[in-house]
Amino acid sequence: MLEARETAIALGTGVAFGAILQRAGLGDSRVIRGQLNGTDYTVVLVMFGAICTAMLGVLWADALGWMSWRTLAMPPTDLVAQALGAIVFGGGFGIAALCPGTACVAAASGRRDGLSAVAGVFVGTIATPLVWPAFAGAILPAPDEGRRLTADLGLPAWGVATIIVALATVGAMLARRASGSRDGGAWWQPRRLEIAGLTLAMALAVAGAGPRGGTSSLTGLAAAIEREEDHVEPIALARWIHDGKQGLRIIDLRDGLDDSTYIIPGASPHSLQELTKLEFSPDELVVLYSDGGAHAAQGWVLLQMRGVTNARVLHDGMAGWEDEVLSPVAPPATDTAAAARFRPVRELSLWFGGRPLAAGIADAFRDPSEPRGRRRRRTC
Amino acid sequence: MNAGRTNPLWYGVTLGMVMLASFALAGRGIGASGAFAVTGGRLLAAAGVGTGDTAPPALVERLPGDVDPWDDWLVFEVLGVFIGGAIAARVAGSRPVSEAVRAAPERQLRTFAGGTLMGLGARLAWGCTSGLALTGGALLATGAWIFIPIAFGAAILVTRLARQGARHA
Repeated sequence: MLEARETAIALGTGVAFGAILQRAGLGDSRVIRGQLNGTDYTVVLVMFGAICTAMLGVLWADALGWMSWRTLAMPPTDLVAQALGAIVFGGGFGIAALCPGTACVAAASGRRDGLSAVAGVFVGTIATPLVWPAFAGAILPAPDEGRRLTADLGLPAWGVATIIVALATVGAMLARRASGSRDGGAWWQPRRLEIAGLTLAMALAVAGAGPRGGTSSLTGLAAAIEREEDHVEPIALARWIHDGKQGLRIIDLRDGLDDSTYIIPGASPHSLQELTKLEFSPDELVVLYSDGGAHAAQGWVLLQMRGVTNARVLHDGMAGWEDEVLSPVAPPATDTAAAARFRPVRELSLWFGGRPLAAGIADAFRDPSEPRGRRRRRTC
Repeated sequence: MNAGRTNPLWYGVTLGMVMLASFALAGRGIGASGAFAVTGGRLLAAAGVGTGDTAPPALVERLPGDVDPWDDWLVFEVLGVFIGGAIAARVAGSRPVSEAVRAAPERQLRTFAGGTLMGLGARLAWGCTSGLALTGGALLATGAWIFIPIAFGAAILVTRLARQGARHA
């Protein structure tokens, strides 16, 4: 069960989300149909209003050091799959005139079309394996980790934010024109809210926020380190390597490596000096490791200073890799849930030539003075 | 944008504030179809269908069978959406439920079919208009900005085709 605090936040967020959608009229499929017919612009205005507000809020909070951009969970990126999914989803959206969120609100408001749309979304979700073979060829085995427009367009965050707010402003103007609204002036005159949004977006150029400049602020950098958001767990890295994750670049920063030293598959050895001169492309995800982690953490800071923000440190370095990937310890067989979770870890370990240990064997080698449970080094 | 009606942009701004609070408090934004994926994935895993050991990893990641729905943030958030929608509808009292529930069977069949396509499309795209378009859009996710115009373009095209079909019928 989710922790009480998390449950309360999730429920509260959902209640507010559902209530706003209902009050905006989006639990009524006729409003959404109006948008698709070009007679009602509520959907686009609500969407762009929400996107612009949250985007500007996050970018400003990042610039002021209140929140770090990189801590936030991002949807993964698989552009071809997302384009195909958008076509299929859009087709369904056009037929139902409800989306999954508004369908929930419609159902909660007592509308049967909402209920049938919710049922349909569930059936479509569980039917995915049936139609998967038709799409599998176009889908990445492992998606990219949250690519952003800033890196893909090569623009600073303030530039992308300004373009998005400008698009939203033009959308609002066209909506006024289509509806004949003269509230607050002619349709082409930007309203105060729109001017405020554009000003806040452009002012980000001075504040220096976002993925390209984001953690260049010292407070942002400190927050990123404190929250360990710059780390990747050994098992997650192992899975990325196993799945052939695109853009993954692993750098071994240990000193004194020779031909007999074990290195993580796919890694290339470099010194800290070399790290300051290496070329990185925007779509690369850089993972640094050293013996424990201190060197890698120093390398991470150097990369941030160079503006290479898509970088991670392997948690506990090579020691963590040995513990968790090469010699993971199985849970007791009596704990069936933990044993089920351990199965893919064991398979990964074997794939990397590791030797998973049974719980009893690990206990036999354990120092009795050491506390039970997983030994964690916090070296950086 | 009728006279006397609140400008929808303000509802958007309010929703953006809610998203911002969610980013600050939970480190994540809103979503909808992800909750269906977690519950559906668990159901499939329990039935031993589709997402087992031999399934492609990209499919298993989209339909995780090892996540307990009661451990999932999005499941509670979507429960909240139902509660919030129901409370707002009741408080507004603008449309009595008994009147609202009357939807023709044909319309229900259409929404069910549309929902099925949305469920499938959301799994392929890693999200829907909430988790991918709104949350991803606010975080400048490239995938979100690919999804938004294509999904709306496809929806508008289907609507126009349906209208033309109805006109010729």
